[in-house]
Amino acid sequence: MIRDGWDGLPVLTQELIICGALLLPLVVIAALLTRGYAPFRLTRAILRRFLWANVMFVLLIAVSVGMGIGLIAQERGLRQGMAHAADKFDMVVSAPGSELTMMLAAVFLQPSNVGLLDGYAYNEIAEHENVEIAAPIAFGDSFGDAPVIGTTAEFVTYLTDGALEGRLWEATDEAVAGAAVGLAVGDSFTPSHGIGDSAEEHGHDGVGFRVVGQMPRTGTPWDRAILIPVEAVWEVHGLANGHAPEAGDRIGPPFDAKFFPGTPAVIVRASALWANYALRNEFTRDSEMMAFFPGSVLANLYRIMGDVRQAMSLMSIVTQILVAASVLLGLFILTRLFQRQVAMLRALGAPRRFVMAVVWLYGATLLTVGTLLGVAFGFAAAAALSRIVTQRTDILVTASLGWSEVHLALAFLSATCVLALIPALALLRQPIVANLRS
Amino acid sequence: MTLPLSVRGLSVPNPRGRAILTVDELDIPAGSLVGVRGPSGAGKSTLLYALAGLWSGAKGAVRWGETEILALSDARRTAFRADHFGMIFQDFLLFEELSAAGNAGLVSLFRRRRDRAGVTKRARQGLARLGLTDTPRAVASFSGGERQRVAVARALAHDPHVLLADEPTASLHREAADALIDDMVKLVRDSGKTLIAVSHDLALLDRMDRVVSVIDGRVDCDVEVRA
Repeated sequence: MIRDGWDGLPVLTQELIICGALLLPLVVIAALLTRGYAPFRLTRAILRRFLWANVMFVLLIAVSVGMGIGLIAQERGLRQGMAHAADKFDMVVSAPGSELTMMLAAVFLQPSNVGLLDGYAYNEIAEHENVEIAAPIAFGDSFGDAPVIGTTAEFVTYLTDGALEGRLWEATDEAVAGAAVGLAVGDSFTPSHGIGDSAEEHGHDGVGFRVVGQMPRTGTPWDRAILIPVEAVWEVHGLANGHAPEAGDRIGPPFDAKFFPGTPAVIVRASALWANYALRNEFTRDSEMMAFFPGSVLANLYRIMGDVRQAMSLMSIVTQILVAASVLLGLFILTRLFQRQVAMLRALGAPRRFVMAVVWLYGATLLTVGTLLGVAFGFAAAAALSRIVTQRTDILVTASLGWSEVHLALAFLSATCVLALIPALALLRQPIVANLRS
Repeated sequence: MTLPLSVRGLSVPNPRGRAILTVDELDIPAGSLVGVRGPSGAGKSTLLYALAGLWSGAKGAVRWGETEILALSDARRTAFRADHFGMIFQDFLLFEELSAAGNAGLVSLFRRRRDRAGVTKRARQGLARLGLTDTPRAVASFSGGERQRVAVARALAHDPHVLLADEPTASLHREAADALIDDMVKLVRDSGKTLIAVSHDLALLDRMDRVVSVIDGRVDCDVEVRA
């Protein structure tokens, strides 16, 4: 029943309750220690006295908390970025093989040598009543770092949601560039055969394309791609262009199966969500073709990587425990610095609880400031890492502060604040007279 | 309420159990000013701290008024000190970052809420009577004489019955020491409090009603200074 009640709560309420529960020990200790006393002025005085030692201590805590938080935020950011990159790719149909390889090639534009689907297969997909878009994808050429991808104008419109600077291609020598390619509308280029180090720079000499449109930034590897009519890819390689000779200069579907050289993958968008599973079953045939959901492949990948993530989380927790132990040791050393003052307070008749309150508040303040600063550090580190990852992979990774980071930070703060009672207690066990004389 | 002191068979052991101070009998009437003198290491400060109930393991009877302080629990003994004793130390033991007023009113921080304003007010009055007017300034910039005046104001802020001072003039130059002795003695006499001051300073001891000598861990002789 409690479980049902909990599940029925809004997510925000649940998260806030968890935060409250994590902070509860801290609040209870603070309330019990300070009730009826005014220890804050003394704590402030102690904080000011050992300012540099305190600043170093706070930075130490901040860096360690920041590392833990940055790691978690970055991992989630990367996962969300990859999921976002696969958003537009409901289903991919290709020749049988590795779904992962095919997904990396078709969605993340990391091409490999894969089998081809023929025109009959393509037409069967394209003409299916539940298929809204069936876009052939032809890759293998490049311009600089940018992969040159052959596809249909319809797919470009789908990919950009119609927001295109310039226009779509109307001839086979026209191209649409991704936002990060570095080509503007009106620029021309000659593609190389192949991609990366193995590209043959002069492989397609004499072939030129003119950029007539530019896609807005999508936060996916497609930002770095140049899209051209699929017919152009085939023609450049000396193949038929997908249409019968009598079709003239036709660009785009329908294609004539007899003149269709083959495509490594077809990106499919179903007319309705429910149709996806039926289509996948229909287009998955032994030794002919396979259909898969990139989202599911990613989910499987995360499941496998989940173990790594757990290991990372465990490492992060172990690190935090080690940090907590160091914090404890640091507090022991710092509190020794004012053992004479504590002895004086006791001699003047300050109750143990008051002295505990002063010393504990001192530690708790350092821990709280360090943790808050650590959250900011972690966020900054994750943001910097995200920029680097985004730059290198074109997968838009955004660092955001999630509840799991907040929980980690609060759990760390709460646990270390409880531990901070130990140095305070130890200080009270010191003999008063000996410390007054020291 | 006044607090006469009666000590009987007091024995203060060191951590190894050997007695470092014994007092067979010592009586101090309420409102008297008593000096404690003796060679260094003889046990003068030990006597002062034992009378304040700060020595754990002390045996015997230390009775302040009707209260046998050694028989109290640690918490009650602490509360008794807070209510009845003011303490002054040789090297002042102030919080450098607090103002003179903040240091003088220190004990208000652990007193009941309704008592705090009274303590703070008395602390400021004490500072004024001791000639310190720049009370918001941090004591880090004060001279030794000024610091010890702040410490005296702190010791008197909660209007204790007894002032226990451990070498209060030892860190001061002569002029500052004499000025402090004048002011402290006047304040104590005017308010009818008991002062027990450990000191080598003859100028201070001369102003006391009685001087107790501590030699080799024994309260050896009890000299009446004034009639």
